[in-house]
Amino acid sequence: MTIEITTYLLYLAISIALTIWVGRTLFKNGRVFLVDVFHGNESLADSVNHLLVVGFYLINFGYVSLALKLGYDVVSAREGIEALSVKVGMVLLVLGGMHFFNLLIFSRMRRRASLVNGPPPVPPDGYTRVQEA
Amino acid sequence: MNALTVLYDPTCGLCRRAHEWLAQQKKLIELIFVPCMSDEARRRFPQLDHDLTAKDLTVIGDEGEVYMGPKAWLMVLWALSQYREWSYRLSSPELLPTVRGVVSLISRHRFQISRATGDRAKQ
Repeated sequence: MTIEITTYLLYLAISIALTIWVGRTLFKNGRVFLVDVFHGNESLADSVNHLLVVGFYLINFGYVSLALKLGYDVVSAREGIEALSVKVGMVLLVLGGMHFFNLLIFSRMRRRASLVNGPPPVPPDGYTRVQEA
Repeated sequence: MNALTVLYDPTCGLCRRAHEWLAQQKKLIELIFVPCMSDEARRRFPQLDHDLTAKDLTVIGDEGEVYMGPKAWLMVLWALSQYREWSYRLSSPELLPTVRGVVSLISRHRFQISRATGDRAKQ
């Protein structure tokens, strides 16, 4: 196996493993948020959780696959490791960005849901009798 | 709270326009619009001082909670699903005095504003 092929294979293995790890973390820990957002409706929460994770995987694997091309020849092991490090670093940054984006979505959903049951913002000036219609 | 009754001034163009805008918004709480000083308003709230409702926007909750002026505006915002967050933000101690000032300014000059923006006041 040439150094180039080894670099590509290592890149794919590391990127895929990282993506799956982050995806599973999101899937496991995002569920609690979503159950809360959907007021304990677990089947809806699971469904939305699954759909979010599928989108996450699609975007990340798409990026990993697009970023595979090196564009120059790798002749030494040193160059191979450097190229690998740059590529994996980019994948990590994209994963990190996606992860925070997901957290933002979760917290937005949660805040919206908590607002629905929020109390009035100000106390009344007084009370009056209401004649039933 | 399930519904808020809004006692608005039907003679002012600005209030009518606000009414139209509110009717189109998505709500978390039902808004019932009743012209202030009308027979309907007097029938629903027999003990309320109706002369006060002509001066300032008045909003009444279904348990009889009365909110007037700036508080009434905040309660209307609170009823809208898009603006509930704003009702909390604007009711914070830092912002409430400003809200009071702005709302009473608009309220006092509502006929002038209506004229300036081309809404003719109906008598």
